[in-house]
Amino acid sequence: MQRPSPATVRRLILVLVLALWEVVPLTGVLPELFLPALSKTLTVLVQNWAEYAHALAVTLYEVALSMAIACGGGILVGALVGGLALLRNLLLPVFSSLYAVPIVILYPIFTAWFGIGSESKIAFAGIYGFFPVMLSTAAGIGTIDQNLLLAARSMGASVPQQIARVVIPASIPTVLSGLRLGGALAIIGVVVAEMLTSSDGIGYLVTRYRTVLDSPRVFAAILMILVLSVVFDLIARWAERRTLAWQTAGRRERGAQIRARSLAAAPATA
Amino acid sequence: MTRLQIIFTRLALFALVMGAWEALPRAGAVNPLLLPPLSGVVRMLGQLLGRAQVQEAIGVTAAEVIVAFIIAVPLGAAIGILAAENDYFGAIFRPMLFYVFSIPKSIFLPMFILVFGIGFGQKVAYAAFSTLFIVIMSAAAAVESVKADHVLVARSYGASPLQVLTRVYVPSMMPFLLEALRISMIFNFTGVMIAEMYASRTGIGHLIASWGENFQMPQLLAGVILLAAVAILFNETVRWLEGRCSTWRT
Repeated sequence: MQRPSPATVRRLILVLVLALWEVVPLTGVLPELFLPALSKTLTVLVQNWAEYAHALAVTLYEVALSMAIACGGGILVGALVGGLALLRNLLLPVFSSLYAVPIVILYPIFTAWFGIGSESKIAFAGIYGFFPVMLSTAAGIGTIDQNLLLAARSMGASVPQQIARVVIPASIPTVLSGLRLGGALAIIGVVVAEMLTSSDGIGYLVTRYRTVLDSPRVFAAILMILVLSVVFDLIARWAERRTLAWQTAGRRERGAQIRARSLAAAPATA
Repeated sequence: MTRLQIIFTRLALFALVMGAWEALPRAGAVNPLLLPPLSGVVRMLGQLLGRAQVQEAIGVTAAEVIVAFIIAVPLGAAIGILAAENDYFGAIFRPMLFYVFSIPKSIFLPMFILVFGIGFGQKVAYAAFSTLFIVIMSAAAAVESVKADHVLVARSYGASPLQVLTRVYVPSMMPFLLEALRISMIFNFTGVMIAEMYASRTGIGHLIASWGENFQMPQLLAGVILLAAVAILFNETVRWLEGRCSTWRT
């Protein structure tokens, strides 16, 4: 018998999980407090749509701003650190040492400084996503094939031309994989921060309904966060595929290595 | 720049940051209530380490980190090796693992609290859960780093499976394994911290969160310095070991 393709098995697993989510609570094996049925969760989500939509808007606003900080700042600093040998030797090892620190312990400092509104979430998630973007941009620019630059220089390219025609196209794949990671981390950072100390947003709904033991509402919020990260992941993957054409075969292999490295260089998620 | 110059410049930068932390609040350029001078924070750290409550919290957190690590690493390594050695299993689960990586695992904290309460067991279970995925990915990467050629050569020369394991697999995987342990420990530590900050009665994470809520900045900053120092020290020790082992790799 031929084995079903891995993609089919994955879809089956997803369907199975959703089916179990619906069936197990109905059989009464697990009390509703532990796991409300999928249909009940969806009903609650639809009935309280105004509340959840408002929370989603707040969360999306915070995510958008922190992504802008993480990606903008990360690319800028990463380009500087990767492009200048002096900064690279001096600072890169320091950043990889700092990465061992669980960033979440800084969050109480942010709430003390910026209050419990959106500002503290944006600052926290911005820093959370900043490091992987910065490190992978630095790696992308620092590891460009020197022969490409040599060839461009020999043919008389000016420095702006070298940057526009060699450095930027060659570093795009690495930067993009950093952006994907940085964006995912910005979402995680916002949700974690909202769950810890907050007065609004989806993470806040999780915590608020948990403390009053209203499980269907907790799971409705969890479901929204899951959908949010799936949608972001799909968009990021689509963008990566779009730029695949710019990579040569040799680079693609190196891109995978760099992606693995920037993954390892990401701050711990939770 | 020579190595010595780099070290010297780094020390100078470090001194500059620390000096600014001391000078700016003293000069009134920064509100000392928001950022107390460094000397006060260090003095507070000394006082805190002498308190029985803080010592107990450090003990609880350390025990949680160690137990969660002991659970997550063998379990994750077994799954990761399976995923790397069995192509079909790997093809099914690898994309799922990469996706799970981008989910905020803290959203499952409410379930852990319902099942395990807010005590020791819940911290260990959540931290092990949030570490598991990175262990699986690192273990799979470590197995894949073993070159098929090396295994083939060893077998052709009549190496037994045990010899292949000890002479080819272990030396090739060693630097990856150490890196995997290092990164897993960072994830593990983060998991314990988040669980403690979220809902807990003891532990350093709980203390930090409540100092933050009560606006006790010297205590809060002292706690952050302590945790950051422990994390960096651990990380650098394992990285130093990694550097020594990488000479084994061809």
